[in-house]
Amino acid sequence: MSSLSGRTAVAGIGATEFSKESGRSELHLAAEAVFAALDDAGLSPSDVDGMVTYTQDANDEIAVAREVGIGDLSFFSRVHYGGGAACGTVLHAAMAVATGVAEVVVCYRAFNERSGRRFGQPNTRLGGEPSSQGLEMSWHVPYGLITPAAWVAMFARRYMHQYGVTSEDFGRVAVAMRRHASTNPAAWFHGRPITLADHQASKWIVDPLHLLDCCQESDGAVALVVTTEERARDLRRSPAVITAAAQGSGTGQMMMTSYYRDDMTGLPEMGVVGRKLWKESGLSPSEIQTAIIYDHFTPFVLTQLEELGFCERGEAKDFIRNGGIEIDGHLPVNPHGGQLGEAYIHGMNGIAEAVRQIRGTAVNQVAGVQNVLVTAGTGVPTSGLILSQG
Amino acid sequence: MRVVAGSVLPPLTIELTPTVVISTALATRDFTPVHHDPAIAKAQGSKDIFLNILTTMGLVERYVSDWAGPDARFRGIKVKLGVPAYAGDTLTFSGTVATVGENEAVVEVTGSVSLGPHVTASAVIMHGFGESPADLPPPRA
Amino acid sequence: MTELRDHLMALADKAVAAGEGPRQAAPHPVNDVMISHWTEAMGDRNPVYAGPDAVAPPVMIQVWSMEGLSRDPAREFRRPMDDVFDALDEAGYKGVVATNCEHTYHRYLSTGEELTSSTRMVDMVGPKRTALGEGYFVTWNVTWFSGDEPVAEMMFRLLKFQPVVPAEKAKREPYPLRPAVNDDTRFFWDGVQAGELRIQRCGGCGELRHPPGPVCPSCRSAERTHIVASGAGTVYSYVVHHHPPVPGQEPPFVVAVVELPEGVRMVGNIVQCPIEEVYVGMPVRVTYQEMDDELTLPMWAPIPEEA
Repeated sequence: MSSLSGRTAVAGIGATEFSKESGRSELHLAAEAVFAALDDAGLSPSDVDGMVTYTQDANDEIAVAREVGIGDLSFFSRVHYGGGAACGTVLHAAMAVATGVAEVVVCYRAFNERSGRRFGQPNTRLGGEPSSQGLEMSWHVPYGLITPAAWVAMFARRYMHQYGVTSEDFGRVAVAMRRHASTNPAAWFHGRPITLADHQASKWIVDPLHLLDCCQESDGAVALVVTTEERARDLRRSPAVITAAAQGSGTGQMMMTSYYRDDMTGLPEMGVVGRKLWKESGLSPSEIQTAIIYDHFTPFVLTQLEELGFCERGEAKDFIRNGGIEIDGHLPVNPHGGQLGEAYIHGMNGIAEAVRQIRGTAVNQVAGVQNVLVTAGTGVPTSGLILSQG
Repeated sequence: MRVVAGSVLPPLTIELTPTVVISTALATRDFTPVHHDPAIAKAQGSKDIFLNILTTMGLVERYVSDWAGPDARFRGIKVKLGVPAYAGDTLTFSGTVATVGENEAVVEVTGSVSLGPHVTASAVIMHGFGESPADLPPPRA
Repeated sequence: MTELRDHLMALADKAVAAGEGPRQAAPHPVNDVMISHWTEAMGDRNPVYAGPDAVAPPVMIQVWSMEGLSRDPAREFRRPMDDVFDALDEAGYKGVVATNCEHTYHRYLSTGEELTSSTRMVDMVGPKRTALGEGYFVTWNVTWFSGDEPVAEMMFRLLKFQPVVPAEKAKREPYPLRPAVNDDTRFFWDGVQAGELRIQRCGGCGELRHPPGPVCPSCRSAERTHIVASGAGTVYSYVVHHHPPVPGQEPPFVVAVVELPEGVRMVGNIVQCPIEEVYVGMPVRVTYQEMDDELTLPMWAPIPEEA
């Protein structure tokens, strides 16, 4: 057990509604989510002395602090690599709190990803700058390999080829997520489940990915409050203890295009995260009652189940065919409906769901939850968490 | 010289210097710019100037003739072209005797460059290879 | 498309039906100067091609009919298939590459012989997809005569093809998906411009690396060289992009990770191949596509079927 394990907790969660057009600025969304998270924790803005967000977030920490009425800050940090930052924000917050650098840290992510800048749309300038990332992109963008769906599809094809996985196997993930979302009133796809036939009939985005293999695009914001386990115990809500938190990047890592290493059928960076989480928590996969698996695109849900040790290499398809990820399955995955079903808030809404599962307040509550594993964006350098009952 | 089917010709390597590419193109009276003007060759999508087909034919003849000697007479040469033979590359010929008849032999030839096979060819020659020298038709004076 | 094909085929049928074209006199008689020039250039030391009783190398037969540089308008003549070639040019099949040549020699020639030749179109086959682009294979025969005696025959086949990127298109607008280039990657793009697929090779330990970088992760050497890849590859994985629209690309299009025999992987488009025929494991060969006046991209085409 590392010195971080069990010393901090998520004490509050807050969110805006999830929509396709929020009708207000991203800073406005951020402020609302932070207010909601502080109210949930029973803390006031003046209690906050640290803030963490994604490098991709358009709202500076100081801007959010001004809107919310947060005063002095002794810690502010940003986590890089798109949605891979999600659990990393909690790791950074926990480290700051555990070391006394700050006492109450707010993590947030706010965007109008549907009505504003859409990540799924080609950005022809991706390869234009001679920064290290621009140069990396320059091996792909000129060929029109320019959207996240395309970057992931390239891994998916090889994975299908290697292990005999089919489009229907990916479809089963989408169907399960939409089934979970259908009973979640906060989900965009509340009341709108799909069938495997719907999945197969949905248009190609980037073959082998159909439209329904790709998560939705959303406007919204989510915020979390991290403080010491001790202080969290005295607040309004029962704490979701941070048993383990990790970031991970693999050998030969690139930003969603790590095509030049190994066999392209794994996510070595998630392997790094998994090994750290298991080591730090002292837990094993059988001790996780439900998992929040980052689901921007269905194929990587299978890969993550394998990287994290929930099943063997190439066997996630069987795990899923046998109902393993359903609410009553071996490992209920994304009971809130994930990003395919609830909303795409860059993984932050999944952490909030994990906290609800620990508290026992989720709409699709899994019975007897002691530990929840959460992952962040895949294909990029990523992060993960294990949250536990206090 | 006694030859049997399956006999292998000694290999021949030709460095395709620009001088070789250009002098052979001109000796075959082929003045197409892609065989002597690098800028035009590149503008047309080629890597560099490259051998013309009359030269490829000629080099196949030379390769077989070097081995068969002055008594051999060619009855025919067939070539199929593969990848281009660019200046700066190396052309390596190899060959085997495919069939030997009473006074005719068929020699199969491959000429390869770094990109792969540039030419696959077969040459039919009349020869004096047998036990009793064949009655070669004399060239018409 | 069918209309164009029918039009071209009708012209080809007409040319075939026209049979033997007129006899055309060779510009020079068989002569020792051209023979010695030829043997010298070819490196052919066969003694029968020199001296007072010299015979001409039989393979020179086509050389005797070559018109050379100064095309005398008075000597202009049309072969039976020239109408077909004009129509192919007009339809955009401007590229030309010889694929087959077969000579038959009835006898050797001596200096002083005056030759004539006549041409007969044999057939046209197409359109066929090839590595160079879509095209038609045109075949014709030539017979050479000394006086009225046929002395040699030739079958010649060439491919008239539509170059993959029409020149007009390249001139129009700059391709929008441009790579960033810096000191660490310039050698690669310079190579592409020169028609070479370059792989970075560490000057210290010899390790090959793609994508390249400034420092060798194996031995820390910053001394960089490169090798030129053979151009062969195998599709390791691929995608077919349908949505959303990508500037500069016409969906659906294929992008692949290609594994090179040199041991590195590269990403590029698969071109000159029906999308449904792409598969993991497909052998491919590099081809260069001019995207605009400045940018050329290496892409990958299936290994062509034999003509």
